[in-house]
Amino acid sequence: MRKPPLIELKNIIKRYPLENGEYYQALSGINLKVQSGEFVAIMGPSGSGKSTLMHILGVLDVATGGKYFFKEKDITANTSDQLADIRNKEIGFIFQTFNLLPRTTVYKNVERPMLYAKILPEERDKRVMDILKLVGIDDKANSLSNKISGGQIQRVAIARALIMNPSIILADEPTGNLDTATSHEIMNFLKELNKNGHTIILITHEEDIANFTKRKIRMIDGKIVSDTKKT
Amino acid sequence: MEYKQLLISSIQALRINKLRTSLTMLGIIIGISSVILIVSIGQGAVAFVTNELSSFGTNIFSINPGGSLISATAGGSNTLTMEDVEAIKNDKSLSNIDKIAIVGQGTANISANEIDKSFLIQGVNHEMYDVIKPDIIYGEFLSEENVAASEKVAVMGIDAVEDFFGEDTDPTGEKIKINNISFRIIGVGKTTSVLFGGIFNNMVFIPIDIMFDEILGREYIQEIDISVKDVDTMNQTITDVETLLRDRHNLKEDEDNDFIIQSFQDFLSTTETITNLLTLMVASISAISLVVGGVGVMNIMFVSVTERTREIGLLKAIGAKEKDILIQFLIEAIVMTSIGGIIGIILGILGSFIISLAVGIPFVVSALSVVIAVGVSMIVGIVFGIYPARRASKLSPIDALRYE
Repeated sequence: MRKPPLIELKNIIKRYPLENGEYYQALSGINLKVQSGEFVAIMGPSGSGKSTLMHILGVLDVATGGKYFFKEKDITANTSDQLADIRNKEIGFIFQTFNLLPRTTVYKNVERPMLYAKILPEERDKRVMDILKLVGIDDKANSLSNKISGGQIQRVAIARALIMNPSIILADEPTGNLDTATSHEIMNFLKELNKNGHTIILITHEEDIANFTKRKIRMIDGKIVSDTKKT
Repeated sequence: MEYKQLLISSIQALRINKLRTSLTMLGIIIGISSVILIVSIGQGAVAFVTNELSSFGTNIFSINPGGSLISATAGGSNTLTMEDVEAIKNDKSLSNIDKIAIVGQGTANISANEIDKSFLIQGVNHEMYDVIKPDIIYGEFLSEENVAASEKVAVMGIDAVEDFFGEDTDPTGEKIKINNISFRIIGVGKTTSVLFGGIFNNMVFIPIDIMFDEILGREYIQEIDISVKDVDTMNQTITDVETLLRDRHNLKEDEDNDFIIQSFQDFLSTTETITNLLTLMVASISAISLVVGGVGVMNIMFVSVTERTREIGLLKAIGAKEKDILIQFLIEAIVMTSIGGIIGIILGILGSFIISLAVGIPFVVSALSVVIAVGVSMIVGIVFGIYPARRASKLSPIDALRYE
């Protein structure tokens, strides 16, 4: 029997009101299923709705219409605190810019989600050090976030995204600010994580970045126009 | 999130903008330190007056003529007579009374040592000495015999001597003329009491009957000071004296006294009430600066929320609930006002210590005013921090993340 999807979107619509009383339709009836263990790239030109889709997937934003099932549970009408809880425990975010708390150490940045989850100090310390070792920057634990390189910042962001052992990692143009070599290094690392069982969805407009993934979803004008899996 | 972690991250956030934080704190520091300073000076003043009055004697009460203190000191009424004094002296039931000093006061022309001056003089009986207890520097105070025989002798206050004879001079044996009547100086006295020294040290004392007959030209008692043996029953003695005088003055039951009885206890509590009231008033005025400081805190918190909108978005993305953000910003405001409050308390205490040294009043800082100051500064933080903190907590995560 086929496993139930980790994420299922049914006819998701997102509209933004405009000043003239009309609205801008960013998403027009998105249907999408993502299984556990997938490595998905959502692609499209700017204005295609890929970022809006990622914000809705990450429950940073709520849809105007449609249903969102997370682990088979309808979370469409969840309260802001329930959504905060899902973001904390189920989703790890990696953003393109402004990923880390400014003038705060690498350690404190990675530790932060565990503070919201009320995890005890000893456990927090062990997890932070383990995860920093995993992403290969344990020697930078006490460095301030504004004193490390772009590649290191994304590694810290990955470490923070992994710290709560989430069901899914959402990455919004994670290599957008990096040079090609560092971009590939980060993508290889994400690929490695996926091999170890992590579900990853990333947004990109770069073909070579999307090539690291196993499934490419293309969007134009708020609609999914193609959905192809690597064989 | 744990409060310890919140506190650490709040202090961290405040340290990032040291200059801004300290300027914001300045409002709170000024407010708290001025409240502490003023309350401390007020309490110091009360302590000072209390000490003064207690050294003078709490076993004394005074009777002035007239229905109110103003008419009594203005010298208008003439409701106390020597017969009244005699009646009090002779009343066997008033056994608690120890000494009775009588004062008749007026201005006279004094010439001595070729100096001519209009001067305030008092006619007194010898028991005045027992009531004021001045230090006698030269000679002696008026004796019972001097007063009884209406001898033309005078005792001068130390400053009065200086006016006519110069500093550090012993004028005993010298003659002075009061309204052209010659008096022999028999003593010089001085009191260190700051409250009464100004009057006593500048006074010339002569026997009371001469004062009435030769200087005032009428019998006019300005004040009767009575000391009692037992302070605990002083109130009963006061009531008895009052009843006696009302009887003698034929006052009906619904009529007010035509004299005023005041004990130093009364004076003490009146002084305390006035000083406390003044302290409260001035402290309230300086408390306004606390409110101004609070508005400054609110202003800066708004700036901080706006500046850190993306940070708030990031925190929400990694799982911060509305409550977490609210508490974080609120704690920042409270930490800022509390540190400001503590610095204000230290400066206030330091300031009042310096002022107490300079002015010569006791240094008093009540624990209550410190506790209230800390409480008030924290409340200012909560009251003025809650609105910006609430606004931060209500930001939608995606709007905050997208904020440019």
